Amino acid sequence: MDHGEETILELDRIVKKYRTKAFLFGAHGQEVIALNEISIKITRGEIFGLVGESGSGKTTAGRLIVRLEQPGEGKIYLDGHDITSLKGKASKAYSRRVQMIFQDPYQSLNPQLSIFDTISEPLIIHKIGNTKAKEDVVWQAMKSVGLSPPHDFAHRYPHQLSGGQRQRVAIARAMVLNPEFVVADEPTSMLDASMSAQIFNILLEMRKKLNVSFLFITHSLAAARYLCDRIAVIYRGNVVEMGPGDEVIENPKHPYTQALIDALPKFRYSGDKKRYQTLIRAERRVPEHAGCPFFSRCKRADPIKCSREKPPLMRLGDSHSVACFFAEPGIKTSSGDNA
Amino acid sequence: MALLVAENLSVGYQTQNGYLRAVEGVSFSLDAGKSLGFVGESGCGKTTLGMAVMRLMPSNGLIREGRILFDGEDLLKKTDEEMRQIRWQEIAMIFQAAMNALNPVHRVIDQITEAIHTHTPSHNKDEAYEQVRALFKFVGLPEDRMRDYPHQYSGGMKQRAIIAMALACKPKLIIADEPTTALDVIVQDQILEETKSLQREFGVSIIYISHDISVVADICHDIGVMYAGQLVEYGAREEVFDNPVHPYTKALLSSYPTLTGEKSKLMPIPGEAPNLINPPFGCRFSDRCTEARVSCRSNPPMWLEITPTHKVLCHQCRKHCGE
Repeated sequence: MDHGEETILELDRIVKKYRTKAFLFGAHGQEVIALNEISIKITRGEIFGLVGESGSGKTTAGRLIVRLEQPGEGKIYLDGHDITSLKGKASKAYSRRVQMIFQDPYQSLNPQLSIFDTISEPLIIHKIGNTKAKEDVVWQAMKSVGLSPPHDFAHRYPHQLSGGQRQRVAIARAMVLNPEFVVADEPTSMLDASMSAQIFNILLEMRKKLNVSFLFITHSLAAARYLCDRIAVIYRGNVVEMGPGDEVIENPKHPYTQALIDALPKFRYSGDKKRYQTLIRAERRVPEHAGCPFFSRCKRADPIKCSREKPPLMRLGDSHSVACFFAEPGIKTSSGDNA
Repeated sequence: MALLVAENLSVGYQTQNGYLRAVEGVSFSLDAGKSLGFVGESGCGKTTLGMAVMRLMPSNGLIREGRILFDGEDLLKKTDEEMRQIRWQEIAMIFQAAMNALNPVHRVIDQITEAIHTHTPSHNKDEAYEQVRALFKFVGLPEDRMRDYPHQYSGGMKQRAIIAMALACKPKLIIADEPTTALDVIVQDQILEETKSLQREFGVSIIYISHDISVVADICHDIGVMYAGQLVEYGAREEVFDNPVHPYTKALLSSYPTLTGEKSKLMPIPGEAPNLINPPFGCRFSDRCTEARVSCRSNPPMWLEITPTHKVLCHQCRKHCGE
């Protein structure tokens, strides 16, 4: 946001639509909107959390950033330079600066490459260093993710490692190029709690040491709270709430964020389990409408206003924005001006 | 009276590298209408435990020792045919990734009525249909989706259909193995609520297996914490979570990010769980335990009763509390 800090990555009104496959006879495929005018700015050294349930478009956002896919509309800027149409050398240079850690370490590692080969592959692709220098970099990366002593692991293969160790290999591989920006797509959703905690602490350590920025994609608000400076909550391709992590979680304004917090099992404190009760039990059956994406499940919704008009992302406080007509009133932000 | 009692249960698998002791010396009991949760990391034996109670072990699996008393009768002495009658009729199971457990080429309603027909052949078609309708209503699935195929359902709907199927024969015990792991939090919350109301209305007992402490804490009366094939702490929910004694339980709780309270640094557990083909002779957690002494490695730990409803398997706790 506008703290005078340097923006490293910016998504500017990104739209991404997919077309489902057409059936055998005639009938055109349906259009699915994965991302609907998403605008996010991430500052250098920040961990930005993108929280949402499956199908909300959060992984798509990550894939767009590392250029595994192209946005339909809108632009992505790294350091102020548009990267949506990079080609050839420029594209390769970009991939050195922006890396991704995938969700499933059981599928993201090549089973035929040893751990050393896996981690050194990016260095070979980008032609960095001679043999000795490469080895040093790989050793260093392995140590920093806690795969030590490195020579114990270097010649093993992925199937000989546990899930947590594999994910650490994936992190080391993403970090050897010394990227400025890393997209971490649910890096711990396949891991046990104690392993997740290790991974979280490794990411925090990386940020501290290397000043890397992260887009941390997750479905867990608790993980986002622990790790992220700022959070955007995404629902069916729309950012519905954005702000500092603590504030969004302790003082959520959007009914969907509130529903998410209600839904989390609580075990560390007693008291009122459901604080907000913003979810209606039976979903409203509504035809396709131009209104609020959360309209069909929202208890607070006004049947007329909310079904006709999509609430823009409105600013509530310094840095807290919400896309809801019934949150406390605030000033419209320029980027969400699309109603 | 306890509905299910397991005594000194040991289960293992014959593997290429030797005999793997997946579950060792586990004892627990579950009263009618109560729920018991097993938590632990992957590979700690919690799924094996559930499968052993159902006697659904793969061909290389072996229940080596112990007794499983269900309604006073030892399940391990039953013939296969008797066991087949008990499964689904008396004990139903909701499997991990149950959404893949539905048969894709049959309509959901046909799959549920099949379970009813197999176990209560006296029901005619209409009765079975009515029963399925009531079940759908109970688990919150719309009636007009009964004749759909599984692929037309979302993940949460499939999981509900599986729960409906588990309830079809009114079992006394349901074993739920990570039933909500693949689901979004809002759907998970709805399913947990339904599980609780199921317990209230039908008085069914539940064994709930999960790696997610918060889910188990939400739903279970009693908790068993498992580590490397052993039960290490066992007791009433409030006691285990408010006053955890075993270092592993404590470590597990402090490695879990929460939404409220102070944002303290998560303390991951260093190292990895031991290999169960050749587990350490002493305490299995000793290599990763911050409180371990030499004696922990040289002798297997013994159970220590902290209160009548809370016990723990640990050397050091014995010293602290015993004196």
